[in-house]
Amino acid sequence: MNLSLILLAVFDGVSYAALVFMVAVGLTLIFGVLRILNVAHGSLYAIGAYLTASIGGAVVAAGYSPILAFPLMLIAAALVGVLLGAPIERLLLRRIYAKSEVLQLLVTFAVFMILEDVQRLVWGNQPYFESSALQLLGNIQVFGVYYTSYQLVLLPVVALLTLIGLRLFLRRTLTGKLITAVTEDREAARSIGIDADRVYLMTFVLGAALAGLGGALASPTTSVLPGIGAEMIVLSFAVVATAGLGRIEGAAVAALLIGLGRSAATYAMPELQVLVPYLIMLAVLLVRPEGLFGTPAARKI
Amino acid sequence: MLEFRNTDVHIGNVPILRGLNVKIAPSETVALIGRNGAGKTTTLRSVMGFTDVKGQILIGGEDITRMRASRRPGLGIGYAPEDRRLFSGFTVEENIRLPGEVAKLDPDTQAARLDKVYRVLPELREMADRPAGAVSGGQGKMVALGRALMLGTRLLMLDEPFQGLAPALAQRYGEALGRLREVDPEVTVIVTESNPALLKSFARRTLVIERGEIAEAEHQAA
Ligand SMILES: Nc1ncnc2c1ncn2[C@@H]1O[C@H](COP(=O)(O)OP(=O)(O)O)[C@@H](O)[C@H]1O
Ligand SMILES: [Mg+2]
Repeated sequence: MNLSLILLAVFDGVSYAALVFMVAVGLTLIFGVLRILNVAHGSLYAIGAYLTASIGGAVVAAGYSPILAFPLMLIAAALVGVLLGAPIERLLLRRIYAKSEVLQLLVTFAVFMILEDVQRLVWGNQPYFESSALQLLGNIQVFGVYYTSYQLVLLPVVALLTLIGLRLFLRRTLTGKLITAVTEDREAARSIGIDADRVYLMTFVLGAALAGLGGALASPTTSVLPGIGAEMIVLSFAVVATAGLGRIEGAAVAALLIGLGRSAATYAMPELQVLVPYLIMLAVLLVRPEGLFGTPAARKI
Repeated sequence: MLEFRNTDVHIGNVPILRGLNVKIAPSETVALIGRNGAGKTTTLRSVMGFTDVKGQILIGGEDITRMRASRRPGLGIGYAPEDRRLFSGFTVEENIRLPGEVAKLDPDTQAARLDKVYRVLPELREMADRPAGAVSGGQGKMVALGRALMLGTRLLMLDEPFQGLAPALAQRYGEALGRLREVDPEVTVIVTESNPALLKSFARRTLVIERGEIAEAEHQAA
Protein backbone atom coordinates (compact mmCIF):
# COMPACT_ATOMS: atom_id res chain seq x y z
CA MET A 1 0.00 0.00 0.00
CA ASN A 2 1.48 3.38 -0.89
CA LEU A 3 1.56 6.56 1.12
CA SER A 4 -0.91 8.52 -0.93
CA LEU A 5 -3.51 5.78 -0.52
CA ILE A 6 -2.99 5.84 3.22
CA LEU A 7 -3.33 9.62 3.24
CA LEU A 8 -6.52 9.40 1.22
CA ALA A 9 -7.93 6.89 3.66
CA VAL A 10 -7.06 9.16 6.60
CA PHE A 11 -8.63 12.19 4.91
CA ASP A 12 -11.78 10.26 4.05
CA GLY A 13 -11.95 9.04 7.61
CA VAL A 14 -11.47 12.45 9.19
CA SER A 15 -14.02 14.22 7.01
CA TYR A 16 -16.58 11.47 7.49
CA ALA A 17 -15.91 11.43 11.23
CA ALA A 18 -16.67 15.15 11.35
CA LEU A 19 -20.11 14.56 9.83
CA VAL A 20 -20.90 11.57 12.00
CA PHE A 21 -19.86 13.55 15.06
CA MET A 22 -22.32 16.36 14.26
CA VAL A 23 -25.16 13.86 14.28
CA ALA A 24 -23.92 11.68 17.14
CA VAL A 25 -23.29 14.60 19.48
CA GLY A 26 -26.91 15.73 19.17
CA LEU A 27 -28.07 12.19 19.77
CA THR A 28 -25.96 11.83 22.89
CA LEU A 29 -26.97 15.26 24.20
CA ILE A 30 -30.64 14.36 23.84
CA PHE A 31 -30.08 11.02 25.48
CA GLY A 32 -28.30 12.67 28.40
CA VAL A 33 -31.26 14.86 29.21
CA LEU A 34 -34.33 12.97 27.97
CA ARG A 35 -32.99 9.44 28.47
CA ILE A 36 -34.45 8.55 25.11
CA LEU A 37 -32.54 7.08 22.18
CA ASN A 38 -34.08 9.03 19.35
CA VAL A 39 -34.18 6.88 16.21
CA ALA A 40 -35.83 9.75 14.33
CA HIS A 41 -32.55 11.61 14.67
CA GLY A 42 -31.49 9.98 11.39
CA SER A 43 -34.48 11.51 9.61
CA LEU A 44 -33.60 14.94 10.92
CA TYR A 45 -30.15 14.50 9.40
CA ALA A 46 -31.65 13.42 6.08
CA ILE A 47 -34.12 16.29 5.99
CA GLY A 48 -31.32 18.77 6.72
CA ALA A 49 -29.51 17.33 3.71
CA TYR A 50 -32.59 17.38 1.46
CA LEU A 51 -33.46 20.96 2.39
CA THR A 52 -29.95 22.19 1.66
CA ALA A 53 -29.52 20.25 -1.58
CA SER A 54 -32.93 21.08 -3.05
CA ILE A 55 -33.11 24.74 -2.05
CA GLY A 56 -29.39 25.21 -2.76
CA GLY A 57 -29.86 23.72 -6.20
CA ALA A 58 -32.77 26.03 -6.92
CA VAL A 59 -30.84 29.06 -5.67
CA VAL A 60 -27.82 28.28 -7.83
CA ALA A 61 -30.02 27.43 -10.84
CA ALA A 62 -31.70 30.81 -10.48
CA GLY A 63 -28.29 32.40 -10.93
CA TYR A 64 -27.53 33.44 -7.37
CA SER A 65 -24.07 33.06 -5.89
CA PRO A 66 -23.21 29.56 -4.65
CA ILE A 67 -21.81 31.19 -1.54
CA LEU A 68 -25.41 31.38 -0.35
CA ALA A 69 -25.12 27.63 0.25
CA PHE A 70 -23.39 28.35 3.57
CA PRO A 71 -26.03 30.53 5.21
CA LEU A 72 -28.57 28.15 3.75
CA MET A 73 -27.04 25.30 5.76
CA LEU A 74 -27.56 27.21 8.99
CA ILE A 75 -31.13 28.04 8.00
CA ALA A 76 -31.82 24.39 7.18
CA ALA A 77 -30.45 23.37 10.58
CA ALA A 78 -32.61 25.93 12.37
CA LEU A 79 -35.68 24.83 10.41
CA VAL A 80 -35.10 21.21 11.34
CA GLY A 81 -34.66 22.14 14.99
CA VAL A 82 -37.67 24.41 15.28
CA LEU A 83 -40.18 23.02 12.79
CA LEU A 84 -39.49 19.32 13.40
CA GLY A 85 -37.61 19.06 16.71
CA ALA A 86 -39.95 21.24 18.75
CA PRO A 87 -43.22 19.54 17.76
CA ILE A 88 -41.73 16.04 18.08
CA GLU A 89 -40.70 16.77 21.68
CA ARG A 90 -43.78 18.70 22.71
CA LEU A 91 -46.48 16.62 21.11
CA LEU A 92 -44.99 13.15 21.23
CA LEU A 93 -41.99 12.51 23.44
CA ARG A 94 -43.41 14.54 26.31
CA ARG A 95 -46.14 11.93 26.67
CA ILE A 96 -43.79 8.99 27.00
CA TYR A 97 -41.02 10.06 29.39
CA ALA A 98 -42.49 7.93 32.16
CA LYS A 99 -43.07 4.94 29.87
CA SER A 100 -40.84 1.93 29.30
CA GLU A 101 -37.73 2.19 27.18
CA VAL A 102 -39.11 -0.29 24.66
CA LEU A 103 -42.15 1.88 24.07
CA GLN A 104 -39.96 4.99 23.77
CA LEU A 105 -37.80 3.29 21.18
CA LEU A 106 -40.88 2.16 19.24
CA VAL A 107 -42.33 5.65 19.24
CA THR A 108 -39.16 7.29 17.94
CA PHE A 109 -38.88 4.48 15.39
CA ALA A 110 -42.43 5.25 14.28
CA VAL A 111 -41.50 8.91 13.89
CA PHE A 112 -38.51 7.81 11.83
CA MET A 113 -40.74 5.74 9.51
CA ILE A 114 -43.23 8.58 9.13
CA LEU A 115 -40.48 11.05 8.30
CA GLU A 116 -39.00 8.62 5.76
CA ASP A 117 -42.33 8.65 3.94
CA VAL A 118 -42.57 12.41 4.24
CA GLN A 119 -39.17 12.66 2.53
CA ARG A 120 -40.34 10.48 -0.35
CA LEU A 121 -43.50 12.53 -0.67
CA VAL A 122 -41.68 15.84 -0.76
CA TRP A 123 -38.47 14.96 -2.58
CA GLY A 124 -39.36 11.76 -4.44
CA ASN A 125 -36.96 8.89 -5.06
CA GLN A 126 -34.46 10.61 -7.32
CA PRO A 127 -31.14 11.68 -5.85
CA TYR A 128 -30.26 15.33 -5.28
CA PHE A 129 -26.71 16.43 -5.80
CA GLU A 130 -25.68 20.01 -5.20
CA SER A 131 -21.98 20.48 -4.56
CA SER A 132 -21.32 24.13 -5.35
CA ALA A 133 -20.33 24.80 -1.75
CA LEU A 134 -17.67 22.12 -2.04
CA GLN A 135 -16.41 23.36 -5.40
CA LEU A 136 -16.33 26.93 -4.19
CA LEU A 137 -13.61 26.15 -1.64
CA GLY A 138 -11.41 24.27 -4.11
CA ASN A 139 -8.74 21.68 -3.36
CA ILE A 140 -5.71 21.65 -1.16
CA GLN A 141 -2.58 19.60 -1.61
CA VAL A 142 -1.10 17.67 1.30
CA PHE A 143 2.06 15.61 0.69
CA GLY A 144 1.22 15.41 -2.96
CA VAL A 145 -2.37 14.31 -2.40
CA TYR A 146 -5.19 16.57 -3.55
CA TYR A 147 -8.30 16.71 -1.43
CA THR A 148 -11.24 19.12 -1.21
CA SER A 149 -10.78 21.91 1.34
CA TYR A 150 -14.43 21.58 2.19
CA GLN A 151 -13.98 18.03 3.47
CA LEU A 152 -10.47 18.24 4.81
CA VAL A 153 -10.61 21.69 6.46
CA LEU A 154 -14.13 23.05 6.75
CA LEU A 155 -15.87 19.93 8.06
CA PRO A 156 -13.30 19.11 10.77
CA VAL A 157 -13.12 22.77 11.80
CA VAL A 158 -16.91 23.00 12.10
CA ALA A 159 -16.98 19.78 14.11
CA LEU A 160 -14.24 21.03 16.41
CA LEU A 161 -15.95 24.39 16.88
CA THR A 162 -19.18 22.55 17.64
CA LEU A 163 -17.42 20.48 20.27
CA ILE A 164 -15.76 23.49 21.90
CA GLY A 165 -18.84 25.67 21.56
CA LEU A 166 -21.06 23.03 23.08
CA ARG A 167 -18.71 22.55 25.99
CA LEU A 168 -18.52 26.29 26.65
CA PHE A 169 -22.28 26.61 26.25
CA LEU A 170 -22.95 23.84 28.75
CA ARG A 171 -20.37 25.14 31.19
CA ARG A 172 -20.76 28.90 31.00
CA THR A 173 -24.28 29.90 30.02
CA LEU A 174 -27.28 29.63 32.30
CA THR A 175 -29.22 27.59 29.74
CA GLY A 176 -26.24 25.27 29.41
CA LYS A 177 -26.00 24.90 33.18
CA LEU A 178 -29.67 24.01 33.34
CA ILE A 179 -29.13 21.31 30.71
CA THR A 180 -26.11 19.98 32.60
CA ALA A 181 -28.03 19.96 35.87
CA VAL A 182 -31.03 18.12 34.41
CA THR A 183 -28.68 15.64 32.74
CA GLU A 184 -27.06 14.81 36.02
CA ASP A 185 -30.12 14.65 38.26
CA ARG A 186 -33.60 15.45 37.04
CA GLU A 187 -35.24 15.65 40.44
CA ALA A 188 -32.45 17.61 42.10
CA ALA A 189 -32.71 20.06 39.20
CA ARG A 190 -36.47 20.39 39.63
CA SER A 191 -36.06 20.87 43.35
CA ILE A 192 -34.08 24.07 42.79
CA GLY A 193 -36.75 25.42 40.48
CA ILE A 194 -35.45 24.32 37.09
CA ASP A 195 -38.29 23.90 34.63
CA ALA A 196 -37.37 20.46 33.33
CA ASP A 197 -40.01 20.59 30.57
CA ARG A 198 -38.40 23.67 29.08
CA VAL A 199 -34.94 22.14 29.34
CA TYR A 200 -36.16 19.02 27.52
CA LEU A 201 -37.58 21.14 24.74
CA MET A 202 -34.45 23.29 24.37
CA THR A 203 -32.20 20.24 24.40
CA PHE A 204 -34.24 18.42 21.80
CA VAL A 205 -34.39 21.45 19.52
CA LEU A 206 -30.64 21.92 19.87
CA GLY A 207 -29.92 18.26 19.22
CA ALA A 208 -32.27 18.19 16.23
CA ALA A 209 -30.66 21.31 14.79
CA LEU A 210 -27.24 19.66 15.10
CA ALA A 211 -28.54 16.64 13.18
CA GLY A 212 -29.97 18.99 10.56
CA LEU A 213 -26.67 20.84 10.35
CA GLY A 214 -24.87 17.52 9.94
CA GLY A 215 -27.13 16.70 7.00
CA ALA A 216 -26.73 20.17 5.53
CA LEU A 217 -22.94 19.90 5.75
CA ALA A 218 -22.98 16.41 4.28
CA SER A 219 -25.15 17.33 1.29
CA PRO A 220 -22.39 18.78 -0.96
CA THR A 221 -20.28 15.65 -0.45
CA THR A 222 -22.80 13.02 -1.43
CA SER A 223 -25.97 12.27 -3.34
CA VAL A 224 -28.98 12.91 -1.15
CA LEU A 225 -31.35 9.99 -1.63
CA PRO A 226 -33.69 7.76 0.38
CA GLY A 227 -31.90 5.69 3.00
CA ILE A 228 -29.19 8.13 4.05
CA GLY A 229 -31.03 8.78 7.32
CA ALA A 230 -31.09 5.09 8.20
CA GLU A 231 -27.40 4.68 7.44
CA MET A 232 -26.49 7.69 9.55
CA ILE A 233 -28.59 6.80 12.58
CA VAL A 234 -27.09 3.33 12.77
CA LEU A 235 -23.57 4.75 12.56
CA SER A 236 -24.40 7.39 15.17
CA PHE A 237 -25.70 4.74 17.52
CA ALA A 238 -22.41 2.91 17.09
CA VAL A 239 -20.50 6.11 17.88
CA VAL A 240 -22.63 6.97 20.90
CA ALA A 241 -22.45 3.45 22.31
CA THR A 242 -18.70 3.27 21.73
CA ALA A 243 -18.19 6.62 23.45
CA GLY A 244 -20.48 5.95 26.38
CA LEU A 245 -24.02 7.31 26.38
CA GLY A 246 -24.22 11.03 27.06
CA ARG A 247 -20.50 11.68 26.50
CA ILE A 248 -19.75 14.67 24.27
CA GLU A 249 -15.96 14.54 24.04
CA GLY A 250 -16.24 10.79 23.87
CA ALA A 251 -18.48 11.09 20.83
CA ALA A 252 -15.74 13.05 19.07
CA VAL A 253 -13.10 10.41 19.79
CA ALA A 254 -15.41 7.54 18.90
CA ALA A 255 -16.48 9.28 15.67
CA LEU A 256 -12.85 9.63 14.69
CA LEU A 257 -12.12 6.01 15.56
CA ILE A 258 -15.08 4.72 13.61
CA GLY A 259 -14.60 7.13 10.71
CA LEU A 260 -10.96 6.11 10.31
CA GLY A 261 -11.74 2.44 10.74
CA ARG A 262 -14.46 2.63 8.14
CA SER A 263 -12.30 4.38 5.54
CA ALA A 264 -9.34 2.08 6.20
CA ALA A 265 -11.64 -0.82 5.44
CA THR A 266 -12.86 0.92 2.28
CA TYR A 267 -9.34 0.89 0.90
CA ALA A 268 -8.01 -2.33 2.38
CA MET A 269 -11.04 -4.64 2.56
CA PRO A 270 -13.98 -2.96 0.83
CA GLU A 271 -16.28 -5.88 1.53
CA LEU A 272 -15.95 -5.14 5.26
CA GLN A 273 -16.60 -1.40 5.04
CA VAL A 274 -20.17 -1.63 6.30
CA LEU A 275 -19.21 -3.97 9.09
CA VAL A 276 -16.12 -2.29 10.51
CA PRO A 277 -17.87 0.42 12.60
CA TYR A 278 -19.84 -2.27 14.42
CA LEU A 279 -16.80 -4.45 14.89
CA ILE A 280 -15.07 -1.49 16.53
CA MET A 281 -18.12 -0.88 18.69
CA LEU A 282 -18.29 -4.55 19.65
CA ALA A 283 -14.62 -4.70 20.48
CA VAL A 284 -14.91 -1.64 22.72
CA LEU A 285 -18.11 -2.77 24.43
CA LEU A 286 -16.69 -6.23 25.12
CA VAL A 287 -13.83 -4.66 27.04
CA ARG A 288 -15.77 -1.71 28.47
CA PRO A 289 -19.52 -2.30 28.45
CA GLU A 290 -20.12 1.29 29.55
CA GLY A 291 -18.23 2.64 26.53
CA LEU A 292 -14.84 4.30 26.23
CA PHE A 293 -15.74 7.30 28.37
CA GLY A 294 -18.81 6.10 30.22
CA THR A 295 -18.94 5.44 33.92
CA PRO A 296 -20.71 2.24 34.93
CA ALA A 297 -23.12 3.82 37.41
CA ALA A 298 -23.85 7.33 36.24
CA ARG A 299 -24.19 8.26 32.60
CA LYS A 300 -23.97 11.94 32.02
CA ILE A 301 -22.80 14.67 29.73
CA MET B 1 -46.57 28.60 56.95
CA LEU B 2 -47.12 25.09 55.65
CA GLU B 3 -50.45 23.35 55.85
CA PHE B 4 -51.77 20.01 54.66
CA ARG B 5 -55.56 19.84 54.40
CA ASN B 6 -56.97 16.34 53.96
CA THR B 7 -54.00 15.61 51.77
CA ASP B 8 -53.64 12.23 50.08
CA VAL B 9 -50.45 11.61 48.18
CA HIS B 10 -50.08 9.07 45.40
CA ILE B 11 -47.04 7.93 43.51
CA GLY B 12 -48.21 6.57 40.19
CA ASN B 13 -51.69 5.56 41.47
CA VAL B 14 -50.27 3.97 44.62
CA PRO B 15 -51.58 5.78 47.71
CA ILE B 16 -48.61 6.53 49.98
CA LEU B 17 -49.95 9.13 52.40
CA ARG B 18 -53.49 9.37 53.68
CA GLY B 19 -55.52 12.17 55.18
CA LEU B 20 -52.72 14.48 56.29
CA ASN B 21 -53.97 17.37 58.40
CA VAL B 22 -50.97 19.28 59.66
CA LYS B 23 -50.30 22.96 60.22
CA ILE B 24 -46.80 24.29 60.74
CA ALA B 25 -46.32 27.87 61.84
CA PRO B 26 -43.68 30.33 60.60
CA SER B 27 -40.32 30.07 62.40
CA GLU B 28 -41.12 26.63 63.75
CA THR B 29 -38.53 23.88 63.69
CA VAL B 30 -40.26 20.57 63.24
CA ALA B 31 -38.89 17.06 63.36
CA LEU B 32 -40.67 14.58 61.14
CA ILE B 33 -39.88 11.15 62.53
CA GLY B 34 -40.64 7.82 60.97
CA ARG B 35 -39.19 4.48 60.08
CA ASN B 36 -37.76 3.70 56.69
CA GLY B 37 -40.58 3.63 54.19
CA ALA B 38 -42.98 5.47 56.49
CA GLY B 39 -43.46 8.30 53.98
CA LYS B 40 -41.14 11.10 55.12
CA THR B 41 -39.54 11.67 51.75
CA THR B 42 -42.89 11.43 50.02
CA THR B 43 -44.28 14.13 52.33
CA LEU B 44 -41.50 16.54 51.39
CA ARG B 45 -41.68 15.65 47.70
CA SER B 46 -45.39 16.39 47.69
CA VAL B 47 -44.65 19.93 48.83
CA MET B 48 -42.18 20.26 45.95
CA GLY B 49 -44.83 19.12 43.49
CA PHE B 50 -43.24 15.81 42.53
CA THR B 51 -46.23 13.63 43.40
CA ASP B 52 -49.95 13.43 42.70
CA VAL B 53 -51.86 15.10 45.48
CA LYS B 54 -55.52 15.01 46.49
CA GLY B 55 -56.72 17.53 49.02
CA GLN B 56 -54.70 20.70 49.53
CA ILE B 57 -51.22 21.90 50.34
CA LEU B 58 -50.88 25.55 51.36
CA ILE B 59 -47.85 27.77 51.76
CA GLY B 60 -48.45 30.93 53.74
CA GLY B 61 -52.17 30.51 53.14
CA GLU B 62 -51.78 30.15 49.39
CA ASP B 63 -53.03 26.91 47.85
CA ILE B 64 -50.11 25.52 45.85
CA THR B 65 -51.60 22.11 45.13
CA ARG B 66 -51.85 22.80 41.41
CA MET B 67 -48.79 25.02 41.09
CA ARG B 68 -46.08 23.84 38.71
CA ALA B 69 -43.16 22.23 40.52
CA SER B 70 -40.69 24.59 38.89
CA ARG B 71 -42.40 27.66 40.40
CA ARG B 72 -42.44 26.42 43.97
CA PRO B 73 -38.83 27.04 45.03
CA GLY B 74 -39.37 30.65 43.96
CA LEU B 75 -41.91 30.99 46.78
CA GLY B 76 -39.00 30.70 49.19
CA ILE B 77 -38.78 26.93 49.54
CA GLY B 78 -35.44 25.21 49.91
CA TYR B 79 -35.25 21.43 49.74
CA ALA B 80 -32.24 19.28 50.49
CA PRO B 81 -33.10 15.79 49.21
CA GLU B 82 -32.24 12.59 50.97
CA ASP B 83 -28.87 11.89 49.39
CA ARG B 84 -26.78 14.92 48.66
CA ARG B 85 -27.81 15.06 45.01
CA LEU B 86 -25.24 17.75 44.16
CA PHE B 87 -24.30 18.62 40.60
CA SER B 88 -20.89 17.01 40.54
CA GLY B 89 -19.50 18.87 37.52
CA PHE B 90 -20.11 22.27 39.10
CA THR B 91 -18.03 23.71 41.90
CA VAL B 92 -19.36 23.89 45.42
CA GLU B 93 -20.14 27.59 45.02
CA GLU B 94 -21.79 27.08 41.64
CA ASN B 95 -24.05 24.51 43.26
CA ILE B 96 -25.03 27.00 45.93
CA ARG B 97 -25.56 29.85 43.47
CA LEU B 98 -27.51 27.95 40.83
CA PRO B 99 -30.95 28.14 42.51
CA GLY B 100 -30.58 31.93 42.71
CA GLU B 101 -29.66 32.14 39.04
CA VAL B 102 -32.57 29.89 38.09
CA ALA B 103 -34.95 32.09 40.07
CA LYS B 104 -33.40 35.15 38.36
CA LEU B 105 -32.76 36.90 41.67
CA ASP B 106 -31.10 40.26 41.11
CA PRO B 107 -27.32 40.25 41.63
CA ASP B 108 -27.47 42.09 44.97
CA THR B 109 -29.90 39.60 46.40
CA GLN B 110 -27.80 36.74 45.08
CA ALA B 111 -24.70 38.16 46.74
CA ALA B 112 -26.55 38.72 50.00
CA ARG B 113 -27.91 35.19 49.98
CA LEU B 114 -24.50 33.72 49.26
CA ASP B 115 -23.13 35.75 52.14
CA LYS B 116 -25.84 34.33 54.38
CA VAL B 117 -24.98 30.79 53.31
CA TYR B 118 -21.34 31.37 54.25
CA ARG B 119 -22.31 32.84 57.59
CA VAL B 120 -24.35 29.74 58.40
CA LEU B 121 -21.77 27.37 56.88
CA PRO B 122 -18.37 29.12 57.11
CA GLU B 123 -16.51 25.91 56.29
CA LEU B 124 -17.89 25.99 52.75
CA ARG B 125 -15.80 29.05 51.95
CA GLU B 126 -12.57 27.05 51.80
CA MET B 127 -14.01 24.51 49.42
CA ALA B 128 -15.93 26.98 47.29
CA ASP B 129 -13.92 26.29 44.14
CA ARG B 130 -13.69 22.52 44.48
CA PRO B 131 -15.83 20.38 42.20
CA ALA B 132 -18.85 19.21 44.15
CA GLY B 133 -18.12 15.69 42.99
CA ALA B 134 -14.85 15.79 44.91
CA VAL B 135 -16.07 16.71 48.40
CA SER B 136 -16.65 14.06 51.04
CA GLY B 137 -20.09 12.74 51.86
CA GLY B 138 -20.38 14.80 55.03
CA GLN B 139 -19.18 17.99 53.39
CA GLY B 140 -21.62 17.29 50.59
CA LYS B 141 -24.46 17.43 53.10
CA MET B 142 -23.32 20.91 54.08
CA VAL B 143 -23.22 21.96 50.45
CA ALA B 144 -26.71 20.57 49.93
CA LEU B 145 -27.88 22.62 52.93
CA GLY B 146 -26.20 25.70 51.48
CA ARG B 147 -27.90 25.16 48.14
CA ALA B 148 -31.26 24.80 49.87
CA LEU B 149 -30.64 28.02 51.82
CA MET B 150 -30.26 29.99 48.60
CA LEU B 151 -34.01 30.04 48.01
CA GLY B 152 -35.25 28.62 51.29
CA THR B 153 -36.08 31.86 53.03
CA ARG B 154 -39.55 30.81 54.15
CA LEU B 155 -39.49 27.04 54.28
CA LEU B 156 -36.51 24.74 54.52
CA MET B 157 -37.02 21.00 54.14
CA LEU B 158 -34.08 18.74 55.00
CA ASP B 159 -34.53 15.06 54.31
CA GLU B 160 -32.54 12.90 56.75
CA PRO B 161 -29.52 15.19 56.78
CA PHE B 162 -27.93 13.26 59.65
CA GLN B 163 -28.11 9.94 57.84
CA GLY B 164 -24.60 8.56 57.51
CA LEU B 165 -22.88 11.58 59.11
CA ALA B 166 -20.01 10.85 61.48
CA PRO B 167 -20.81 12.13 65.00
CA ALA B 168 -18.41 15.07 64.71
CA LEU B 169 -19.95 16.16 61.42
CA ALA B 170 -23.47 15.65 62.74
CA GLN B 171 -22.54 17.97 65.56
CA ARG B 172 -21.30 20.61 63.12
CA TYR B 173 -24.43 20.24 61.01
CA GLY B 174 -26.56 20.77 64.12
CA GLU B 175 -24.52 23.87 65.00
CA ALA B 176 -25.08 25.22 61.50
CA LEU B 177 -28.82 24.86 61.98
CA GLY B 178 -28.41 26.75 65.25
CA ARG B 179 -26.62 29.59 63.42
CA LEU B 180 -29.38 29.59 60.82
CA ARG B 181 -31.92 30.27 63.57
CA GLU B 182 -29.90 33.37 64.56
CA VAL B 183 -29.33 34.60 61.01
CA ASP B 184 -32.85 33.86 59.84
CA PRO B 185 -35.28 33.55 62.76
CA GLU B 186 -38.37 33.53 60.56
CA VAL B 187 -37.72 30.52 58.39
CA THR B 188 -39.71 27.34 58.98
CA VAL B 189 -37.53 24.26 59.15
CA ILE B 190 -38.63 20.66 58.69
CA VAL B 191 -36.07 17.95 59.35
CA THR B 192 -36.83 14.28 58.82
CA GLU B 193 -35.09 11.52 60.70
CA SER B 194 -35.62 7.89 61.59
CA ASN B 195 -33.85 8.25 64.91
CA PRO B 196 -35.77 10.75 67.10
CA ALA B 197 -32.91 11.17 69.59
CA LEU B 198 -30.82 13.03 67.02
CA LEU B 199 -33.26 15.92 66.67
CA LYS B 200 -34.21 16.38 70.33
CA SER B 201 -31.76 19.22 70.84
CA PHE B 202 -33.20 21.69 68.38
CA ALA B 203 -36.67 20.65 67.21
CA ARG B 204 -39.41 22.02 69.42
CA ARG B 205 -42.12 20.01 67.82
CA THR B 206 -42.07 16.42 66.70
CA LEU B 207 -44.41 14.84 64.20
CA VAL B 208 -44.49 11.10 63.84
CA ILE B 209 -45.28 9.49 60.54
CA GLU B 210 -46.41 5.89 60.46
CA ARG B 211 -47.92 3.89 57.63
CA GLY B 212 -48.72 7.00 55.67
CA GLU B 213 -50.35 8.94 58.47
CA ILE B 214 -48.88 11.82 60.43
CA ALA B 215 -49.60 12.42 64.11
CA GLU B 216 -48.36 14.81 66.76
CA ALA B 217 -45.80 13.16 69.03
CA GLU B 218 -47.26 12.47 72.43
CA HIS B 219 -44.30 13.73 74.38
CA GLN B 220 -43.03 17.06 73.21
CA ALA B 221 -39.30 17.55 73.48
CA ALA B 222 -38.37 19.66 76.45
N1 LIG C 1 -41.32 6.07 43.32
C1 LIG C 1 -42.02 5.25 44.11
N2 LIG C 1 -42.82 4.31 43.57
C2 LIG C 1 -43.52 3.46 44.34
N3 LIG C 1 -43.52 3.50 45.67
C3 LIG C 1 -42.78 4.42 46.28
C4 LIG C 1 -41.99 5.35 45.52
N4 LIG C 1 -41.34 6.14 46.38
C5 LIG C 1 -41.70 5.73 47.60
N5 LIG C 1 -42.57 4.69 47.55
C6 LIG C 1 -43.16 3.99 48.69
O1 LIG C 1 -43.73 4.93 49.53
C7 LIG C 1 -43.52 4.59 50.88
C8 LIG C 1 -42.88 5.77 51.59
O2 LIG C 1 -41.57 5.99 51.06
P1 LIG C 1 -40.69 7.22 51.53
O3 LIG C 1 -41.53 8.43 51.49
O4 LIG C 1 -39.46 7.19 50.74
O5 LIG C 1 -40.40 6.82 53.03
P2 LIG C 1 -39.25 7.37 53.99
O6 LIG C 1 -38.66 8.59 53.38
O7 LIG C 1 -39.97 7.63 55.26
O8 LIG C 1 -38.26 6.26 54.13
C9 LIG C 1 -42.66 3.35 50.88
O9 LIG C 1 -43.51 2.24 51.11
C10 LIG C 1 -42.11 3.29 49.50
O10 LIG C 1 -41.94 1.96 49.09
MG1 LIG D 1 -36.79 8.94 52.89
